[in-house]
Amino acid sequence: MVFSSILFLFIYLPIVLAVYYLVPSRWRNLWLFIVNLVFYGWGEPVYILLMVFSIWLNYVSGLLIGKYVPVEKKKARIVLAVNTVANLAMLFFFKYFDLVAETLSLIPGVRVPKLGLSLPIGISFYTFQTMSYPIDVYRGDSYVQKNFIKFGTFVALFPQLIAGPIVRYKDIARQLDKRHESLDQFADGVRRFVVGLGKKVLIANNVGLLWDVYANAGAGELTFVGSWLAAVAFSLQIYFDFSGYSDMAIGLGKMLGFEFLENFNYPYISRTVTEFWRRWHISLSTWFRDYVYIPLGGSRKGLPRQLLNLLIVWSLTGLWHGASWTFLFWGLYYAFFLILEKLFLLKWLDRHKAVGHVYTLLVAVSGWVIFQQTSVSQTLVFFRAMYGLGQAGFCTGRDLYYMAGYGPLLLAACFASLPAGRALFARLPEKLRSAAVPALIALVLVISTAYLVDSTYNPFLYFRF
Amino acid sequence: MKKTCQIIAIAVFLLFIGGFFVLNIVTPDREFSPQENKYLQMLPDFSFKALFSGKFTKDFEDYTTEQFAFRDAWITMKARCELLSGKKENNGSYYCGDTILPDFDDPGQAEIDRRADFVDALAEAVDAPVYFGLIPGATEINASLLPKNAPADSQQTVLDWAYGRVRSTAGNIDLASALGAHKDEYIFYRTDHHWTSLGAYYGYTALCESMGLTPSPLSAYDRQTVSEDFCGTTWSSSGFTWVKPDTIETFVPDDGSVTVMNLEKQPPVAGPLYDTSFLDVKDKYSMFLGGNSALRSIDTGHDGPTLLIVRDSYTDSLVPFLLEHFSRIDLVDLRYYRDSLARYIEDNGFDSVLVLYSVSNFTTDQNLFLLAM
Repeated sequence: MVFSSILFLFIYLPIVLAVYYLVPSRWRNLWLFIVNLVFYGWGEPVYILLMVFSIWLNYVSGLLIGKYVPVEKKKARIVLAVNTVANLAMLFFFKYFDLVAETLSLIPGVRVPKLGLSLPIGISFYTFQTMSYPIDVYRGDSYVQKNFIKFGTFVALFPQLIAGPIVRYKDIARQLDKRHESLDQFADGVRRFVVGLGKKVLIANNVGLLWDVYANAGAGELTFVGSWLAAVAFSLQIYFDFSGYSDMAIGLGKMLGFEFLENFNYPYISRTVTEFWRRWHISLSTWFRDYVYIPLGGSRKGLPRQLLNLLIVWSLTGLWHGASWTFLFWGLYYAFFLILEKLFLLKWLDRHKAVGHVYTLLVAVSGWVIFQQTSVSQTLVFFRAMYGLGQAGFCTGRDLYYMAGYGPLLLAACFASLPAGRALFARLPEKLRSAAVPALIALVLVISTAYLVDSTYNPFLYFRF
Repeated sequence: MKKTCQIIAIAVFLLFIGGFFVLNIVTPDREFSPQENKYLQMLPDFSFKALFSGKFTKDFEDYTTEQFAFRDAWITMKARCELLSGKKENNGSYYCGDTILPDFDDPGQAEIDRRADFVDALAEAVDAPVYFGLIPGATEINASLLPKNAPADSQQTVLDWAYGRVRSTAGNIDLASALGAHKDEYIFYRTDHHWTSLGAYYGYTALCESMGLTPSPLSAYDRQTVSEDFCGTTWSSSGFTWVKPDTIETFVPDDGSVTVMNLEKQPPVAGPLYDTSFLDVKDKYSMFLGGNSALRSIDTGHDGPTLLIVRDSYTDSLVPFLLEHFSRIDLVDLRYYRDSLARYIEDNGFDSVLVLYSVSNFTTDQNLFLLAM
């Protein structure tokens, strides 16, 4: 199930909220546990078993590690190792097996059959969430959760189950035991959710159509203007899609009394690539920093080792985004710029701030082309057109048509990806702001609903029988 | 003050999602949507088999969206929002003032060659002369109405390429010139992809020229307006539901001397030239011959040779003009006809064969290969 659907907005959510606030607070975790599984199992009911197994595995590991850490650290370490391997094995099996099979089959004489399993939704997110819990218990960063339902509620918590933020157990441990839902928090949650819904349905879905227009254009068709329109459109799509989802997750969390950490912080205003990754998908970068980069020694073991660590972390970050070698390449592409910056570029960029903005945007926008194109040859078609080596010239009437049609939306989206809008809003008189919020909420809800209802609008024109 | 606004914000949100939750339960489900011309998803039956195959959840999601309260109004609102945001199209149709024009995609020369070769194969397989006609749509003929720089591909290019490719036909009908010469007249519906009866008349004159017939002059017909509220296919698909409806005319009266046998059904069913019952429903264009059918045989009540037409729906409004020139006209629709076409032509000894498609159907229909079977 996805948030931006009629099913979620007008059936699932009203029922979840109504029952949640009607039952006494001691039943609320159990209710969440149940509806989480419904949410998760909606697309692939069989995978509920996988989810329950994953919860059980990490729950038991947490208990054992908690028991052994003070007395027999060695045993605790073994449990942790087994648990980590088991989690990663599940992730590997469902997400990466086919990629490895396909790659091995390229070797003459080797044939590994593909499994063709559908990817359990959110597995990349919840594996990281669950894995971090036994590690935190082992490190003494977190208490042990003895209640299975509470732990299960955390793992499968529907707001952040399928697209983050990656919530660590220790960050919401206390909220699982005791939450103080309040009017303030609920109103905040509503506002945040509706902002996210608008970002996803009104901006991301629509600018995405512009990318689709150009994505498969041949070398002879793709102009300079067309390639940039498409690349900018996708850069906006992925930002608004992803941050919109995070906003909806954070908003839903608030409606249920949870506070999640922020996941995006206006990434496109960054002056350096290093800064970009501190503002983009923050919970993922933090996760890799705390569970991979720092345990590997981070920057404490000399420069060569630090560079190696960066390469490892960014290879993994790349592959985490998808089971394809283009994602590995995309990760290494970022490693390249991050290493350059570590070595000397950061200092230089400190003195040339305007250049920094342009450079970071170019790296990010070009990076999204690598990210989204499934073939290297098509990526090259784009880069040739974007950087002036294309065969199709500068601009065609078709490009102008799309520029005119999507221009207002693209401009609005660019503006919305800057903090300026929020700052301007904050300057309005208090009274106006208070009145504007409910009106804007209603407006976004109504228009988003129109787009969602339209999404299955596919009139059957050749009627028969 | 702050608190009041928070309460209002929460109330707006909860009333909206809760309100539609209730509304969707109390408003009755519609089995059929006239605006979309399709059956809507009804509440699916639950079974564990359907649940585990994923069919139940998928159908249920379609159900929630397709039965959403005031669905048609939401669709129109979305279309208006698209125009407000600066776009000139919605769901594949261009907004051109009081006219809606569907988009057109050129499938490329290789694909056109492949399709044209099926026509050739038929022409080689049968003894009767085979005529070939491609009807350009309003998007081509009225291209000047399109929004500036609209990326609709040229249908003339497709047409020229296909006509250049076929070698074995007795004649390729120049419908584009005939229609182009009258492009300022009401030859295409503004809310539908079909030609009007007037457009079909000009098509008929082009056909006569190719086949060596003498067309009746326009003044010879008794024009009757049969509907003034026809909202067609592009009206439906675009969501531009505020565009004013079309008028449907007939030129040739149905005096009862014509018998249309629908051979798809067993036993065959006789029908009228104009099935006026369709004028009471959304799909009014289907009043011509009563809509699509795999095979129909028309006894015209006139003397003359026989003709077989491999048709799409454009043919239905053309047929009334052809009646006076033939004694029998059969209409085969390859989307539904599953026997050998060549054998049917030979068995019935047709004097001539006409393959007549709109450019749009010619480039997209998946059943053209049946011409060659």
